[in-house]
Amino acid sequence: MYKIILAIRYLLRRRITYFAVLAVALCVFIVVVVMTVVTGLVGDFKRKSHNFVGDCVVGTESLVGFAYYEDFIKMLEQAHFVEGVSPVIKSYALVSREQTEQNAGLEIMGIDPVRHSGVTGFGKTLYHRKDDVAKAFVPAYDVNLPGCVVGIDLWLIRTGKSGYLYEDTPAEVAFVVSCFPLTAKGAPAKAGAGEVNTKTFYYSDTSHSGLAHVDSSLVYLPFEQAQWLCGMAGPDKRASAIHIKFRPNVKLQVGCERIALLWQRFKQEKAGEKQANLLDIVTVQSWKDYRRASIAAMEKEQTMMTVMFGLVGITTVFVVLVVFYMIVSHKSKDIGILKSIGVSNANIIQLFSGFAILVGLLGSGVGAFAGWLFLLKINRIEDLLFEHFGFQLWDRTIYAIGDIPNQVELKVLAVIIASAIAACLAGAVLPSWRAAKLEPVETLQVSQL
Amino acid sequence: MLKLFLWLRYLRKKRIVLLSITAVALSVALLITVASLFNSFIDAFEQSAAETIGDVILAPPIRFEKYQLLIKRLEQISTIEGATATLSAPGLLHFGKGNVRAVVIWGIEPERRAKVTGFKQFLHKQSQLPGEPSLEVAGQPEAIGGFVGIGVVAEPDEKTDEYDFQTAEKLIGQQVVLTTAAVSKTQEHKDTTAQIKRKTIKFTIADIVFTGAYHVDKTFVYLPIEKLQKTLYTNSEEPLADQIQIKLTSESQVDAALAQIRGIWQLFAAEQLGWEPYLINRTAIITSKKMQSPLVAEFRKQMGLLLMIFGVVSFSVILLIFCIFYMIVITRQKDIAIIKSCGGTSSSVGWIFVGFGGCIGIIGSALGAILGYIITKNINTLEEWIRIIFGLKLWKSSVYLFSKIPNEVDWDWALLIVVFAVMAAAIGALAPAIVAAKTRPVEILRYE
Repeated sequence: MYKIILAIRYLLRRRITYFAVLAVALCVFIVVVVMTVVTGLVGDFKRKSHNFVGDCVVGTESLVGFAYYEDFIKMLEQAHFVEGVSPVIKSYALVSREQTEQNAGLEIMGIDPVRHSGVTGFGKTLYHRKDDVAKAFVPAYDVNLPGCVVGIDLWLIRTGKSGYLYEDTPAEVAFVVSCFPLTAKGAPAKAGAGEVNTKTFYYSDTSHSGLAHVDSSLVYLPFEQAQWLCGMAGPDKRASAIHIKFRPNVKLQVGCERIALLWQRFKQEKAGEKQANLLDIVTVQSWKDYRRASIAAMEKEQTMMTVMFGLVGITTVFVVLVVFYMIVSHKSKDIGILKSIGVSNANIIQLFSGFAILVGLLGSGVGAFAGWLFLLKINRIEDLLFEHFGFQLWDRTIYAIGDIPNQVELKVLAVIIASAIAACLAGAVLPSWRAAKLEPVETLQVSQL
Repeated sequence: MLKLFLWLRYLRKKRIVLLSITAVALSVALLITVASLFNSFIDAFEQSAAETIGDVILAPPIRFEKYQLLIKRLEQISTIEGATATLSAPGLLHFGKGNVRAVVIWGIEPERRAKVTGFKQFLHKQSQLPGEPSLEVAGQPEAIGGFVGIGVVAEPDEKTDEYDFQTAEKLIGQQVVLTTAAVSKTQEHKDTTAQIKRKTIKFTIADIVFTGAYHVDKTFVYLPIEKLQKTLYTNSEEPLADQIQIKLTSESQVDAALAQIRGIWQLFAAEQLGWEPYLINRTAIITSKKMQSPLVAEFRKQMGLLLMIFGVVSFSVILLIFCIFYMIVITRQKDIAIIKSCGGTSSSVGWIFVGFGGCIGIIGSALGAILGYIITKNINTLEEWIRIIFGLKLWKSSVYLFSKIPNEVDWDWALLIVVFAVMAAAIGALAPAIVAAKTRPVEILRYE
C-alpha cells in the first residue's frame, strides 16, 4: 500500500515529475498521430490490393499465358473451399482514341465482369454500372457496341479532395485496341500478315480501384475479345491467370496451400499434353504475395518510421532518468526511513518502478487522448488549411488518397502505450538501483538531516 | 573566465550533462540525416530528368518534319549548347521462348544525344571507350544496332537489388525482335480513320544502358532515329521527330532561353511546316525541372512535415536540458551563493547557466552534425549491413527510382538545424538560470 501512496505523493508533490509526464505525452501524441495515419494508409492499400486481386492467383507473368485453364477451373469449382473463380487475360496493347494519331502502350485485362466481381471488388469500382455489373461492357449510349472499362485516371481528371469530375452518362468515345498476338511458343503470330489484332471498343465505364498504377494504366475488356486480341483463343485456349475467392471460413494460408496441391495434381494429369510446358511457369500466390512488391515497400516505410521514432524516443528515456535521479536524490531520507523499518531493496525498486509505470500511464493517457482528439479533427483541419492556405498534407491530384486515415487501431495504441511505459521503466532503472543501494545509516545521519 | 571555469567543471564533474549532449546529438544527427537524404533525393530526381531528357523539352502535339533544320537554327543561339531529336513509339521486345517485354522505343541520334544529356556515361561498354557513342554494330555495317535498358533484359536481384551485368553483357551482339505499330490516318469518303499496322524491327544489341533510374532502365529501347522513322512511317520522305531535347549553356538565363526557343519554333512551324497558330501554341516548351516541379513540391512538403514531426518530438530535448540544469542549480546552490556573495550579479549568474546551455547545444550539435554526416555519407553501406544482418532490403530501385540512395549532405539545412539546436539548449537552460539568478546567498550560506 505504501508503494502506491508514495508513488502518488511523488507524482503530485514533485512538480519536476510533470516534465517527465509532458515528455512522454508529447512523444505518445506524435507517435499515435503518425502511426495511425501511416497504419491507415498501409491498411487501406492492402484492402484495395485484396479487392483488386481476390484471395489467390494461379497465373504466369509470361504474356503467352497457359493452356487448359478451363479444366482447372472445373476442378476448382468442385472444391468445397472455393467460392468463386475468374479467368483473366493480361497483356499489353497499343490503345488509341479513334480519329486521332495518338497511341499509348497500356495494360489490358480481359475479364468476365460478373465472375470477376464475384471474386474481386471489381463491380464496386465501377461508376455507371455499379449496380448492374453484367452490363459493365455495355455502353449506355448503344447497347449493341462492344464496351471497355478504363482505369479512372486514364479518363477523368482527379480534383482536390472531392475525387473526380464524373460525367452523368458515359461519353461516346471509341478506343482502337491493338495487340500483338503470340503463339504458344511465344513467337509473334500472323508473322507474315504484318498486322496486329485490332478491335474497336467503346467507352462504357470507369474503374476506380484506388491503386494508382492500376487506375492509370489498365483497360478492362470482355474476356473472349481480349483472348482473341492476344492470340490466346483457338482450339487450345489460353489464359494469363485465374483469380480465386475462398469461402469466408477458409484461412488464406490454408486455402492457398490447398490450391497449390490441386495445381500439382492438375499438372501431373496434363503432363503428356501438347502445351504442358506452359504449366511449368505457373505459380500459385496469395494476394499478399501477388502484390508483395508494392505492399512490402509500404510496410518497410512503416518499419523505418517506427525505428526513427524509437531513436527520438530515447530522449524521453533520458528525461525520465533525470527526473527520477532528482527525486531519488531529494527523497534519500524517505528511502532511508523505509529501509530502516525493514523494507527490502527489491521493494524500493518496486516503489520506483511503480512510480515509473504511473508516469508512463499518465503521460501516454494524456498523449493518446490528445492524439485521438487531433485525429478526430485532422480532416477538418486539412480542409481549413486547404481553404485558407491551399495546403494539403498530400496533393490529391498526385496521390490516390481520399481522406486522411484517422481511425485509431486499438492494437497500435496498446503497443504505443506499452512502449511508453517500457521507456519510463528503462529510464527509472538506474535511479531505482541507486535508491535501493542507499544505506539508511548514511542518509539518516544527523549531519544529513 | 569564471564562466569558462565553471562550465568545464560542470562538464567534468556532472556526468549527467553528458545525457543532454547525447540527446542533442541524436536529435541533430537524425534531423540532418533526414533533411540531407530528402534533399539529395530531390536533387537526384531533378538531375536524372535533365540527364535523361535534357534541360528543355520542345514537344509539339503531333510529329513534325525537318527537325534537322530546327536543330540547326536552335544551335545558332548562344544560350543553347546542343539539341537532339527523338521519335517514340510503344512496342514489345521479343527475346524468344515467350519472353516478351513491353517497352518504349526511342529513336535517337546517339552523338547529339551525348552532348545534350549524360547519355554516354550510362552506356555499359561504350562509356569506357573514347569517342562518341554509336549504334553501329562492329563488323556488321548493314545491321541495325540498338541500346537496351538494363531493366529490360534483367531484373535486379531480389536480395541485393543489383543487376547482373555479366549476364546482360552477354546479350551485346545478340539479335532481338521488336514489334511495334504505326498509326496513320486514312481518308475514306468524308471520314478520317486511324489505321494501325504492325511493324517488326530486328536489331542487334549494341550496348546496355544503365542510368540508375529504375523506370528509365526498365522501359526504354533506343534505335537510330532514321531507321525507326523509315520502319514506322514509310510514306514520309522527310525525317520525322516528335520531340526536341535541348541543353542550355551553364551561363544562360532559363526564361530568356525559353523565350528564344519559342520564337524560333513559332517561326519554323509557320514557315517550314505551315502549321496553324492553334497547333503551334499547343507545343509544350518546358524545362525538365518544371516538368518535375509538382512532384518535387510534394517531396519538399513531405520533407517539411517529417522534419516538423521530428522537431516537435525533439522538444523533449528542451525538457531534458531543463531538468538537468534544474538539478545542477539545486545541487550547486552553494557555488552560486559564493559567486553572488563575492559580488557576482544575478544576471551574470543567470548567464553562466544560459551560456552553459548554449555550450551543451554547441557540443551536442557538433557531435550530431558529425554523426549525421557519417550516417548520410555511409547510408548505402549501412543499408547493405542491415540487409546482411536482418535480411531486410530497405531501399529498392523499383520503389525509390534510383539504384543507390542519393547521399549528399545538405549543409544549408545542417547549419539551420545546428542553430536551432543551440537555441533550444539555451532555452532549456533559461528557467533554471532564472532560479539560479534568484538565489539568495544569505539563505544558502547560513551555518545551520
